[in-house]
Amino acid sequence: MKRIEALAAIDEVFVGDPLVITCGASAREMASIARRNTHLPLLDSMGLAGPVGLGIALGTDRPVGVIEGDGAVLMGLQMLATIKAQSPPNLTLIILDNHQHASADLMNSQAADGVSLAGASRGLGLLTIEVDDVDGLAAAARDARDSDQVTVIVADIEPGNTAGIPFLLADPAVLGDSFRRSFAEPSS
Amino acid sequence: MPRPSNPSIDAAVDGLSDWGIETFVHVPSSHSAPLIRALQARGVTDVLANREEEAVGIAGGLAMTGVKAAIVMQDNGFGNALTALTTFAAAYHVGVPIVANTRGGLGEYNAMIHVFSEHVPALLAAVGIRVDTLGPADPPHLWRTTVRASAELAVMTRRPIVTLLDVLHPALEEAS
Repeated sequence: MKRIEALAAIDEVFVGDPLVITCGASAREMASIARRNTHLPLLDSMGLAGPVGLGIALGTDRPVGVIEGDGAVLMGLQMLATIKAQSPPNLTLIILDNHQHASADLMNSQAADGVSLAGASRGLGLLTIEVDDVDGLAAAARDARDSDQVTVIVADIEPGNTAGIPFLLADPAVLGDSFRRSFAEPSS
Repeated sequence: MPRPSNPSIDAAVDGLSDWGIETFVHVPSSHSAPLIRALQARGVTDVLANREEEAVGIAGGLAMTGVKAAIVMQDNGFGNALTALTTFAAAYHVGVPIVANTRGGLGEYNAMIHVFSEHVPALLAAVGIRVDTLGPADPPHLWRTTVRASAELAVMTRRPIVTLLDVLHPALEEAS
C-alpha cells in the first residue's frame, strides 16, 4: 500500500470530519487528493498532530481522525500515553508506518530497527489494529470512526514518496481559520 | 520545596475563572501545583500532558473547537515548547493563554535552573510571543486582572500569550 492510497482511503472514511494530518509528504499528498475545510494539515510541528487531534477530540463530539507517521510518533511518543489517559471515544489515530523518515531524505526511522509502534500502543492499553492493505485500512478506519472507543491503527505502507507532488504552500493562518469555521458547519 | 497557595496565586486562579476557563492542560510542576489544584477544586476540566509542546498541541486543538483552554506550566518548559508555540499556535493563529511560574530568580533553591529560566522572557520576545510578568510588587487584584485580560487578549488576537508568575520570590510568601 502506497501512502497516497492510504491517505485516499482515510479521506473517504473521514470526509466531513475533522482530520489532522502530519507534516511533510503526508500533508502534501493529502492536499493533492483533496483540500477540505475539515482538514488541518500541519506544515511543520512534527510530532504534534496527535496532541492537536487529541485536543480537538476533547473539544467536540464529532469523530476526529489523526494521521501520523512512524517518525512523527517516535518524535512525540508520549502522545500515546496521553491519548490513553484521556481516551476520547471519538478519536482515531492512524499511524502510517513506512519505517522511515520519508520526508527527511528517506532515512530509516527506529521502526526499521525493530521498534514496534503497535506493540507500544498495545502496551499502553490502547485498542490497536494493524493493517497492511488499503481494504483493511478502510475497514479498520470505518470501524474505528463509528466505534465508541479510542483506536490506534498502525498501517504498514511502502517506503518512499509519490513523485510529482507539489509543496503545500498554504498560509497556516488561513488553514487554521478554515478549520475553525468547519465546526460551525453541519457534520456529515 | 513547593509553596502553598497564597493571595497572589489565588488571584491568578480567580483571573482564569473570570475569563471563563473551561479546560486547562498542565505539565507537572510543584510550583504550579497550587494553581493546578485550585483550578481542579473549582471543577475546571484538566488534562495532564507529559511535555510542554504536547500541552501546546492539546490546548491548541481544544481552542480551535471553541473551548476556553489554557496551559499551566513552569517556565523552563518553554525550551520544549518553542517550536510548537511558533509553528503551530502562532502560525495557525490559535489563541492560547499560558500561565507559567518562573524559576531561577530570588528565592530559588536550585543552583542550575536560572541558566535557562532567566532568559525565558527574552527568548519568548525573540519569537514574538507577548509576555506579562507578575511579582510581589503587584497586588493580588492586579494578578487577577492581568491573568484575565491576558487570556482575553490571547483569544481575541488569536495567538499564544504568556503570563509569568514569580511565585518563588520571598516577598510573596511574606505577604501571604
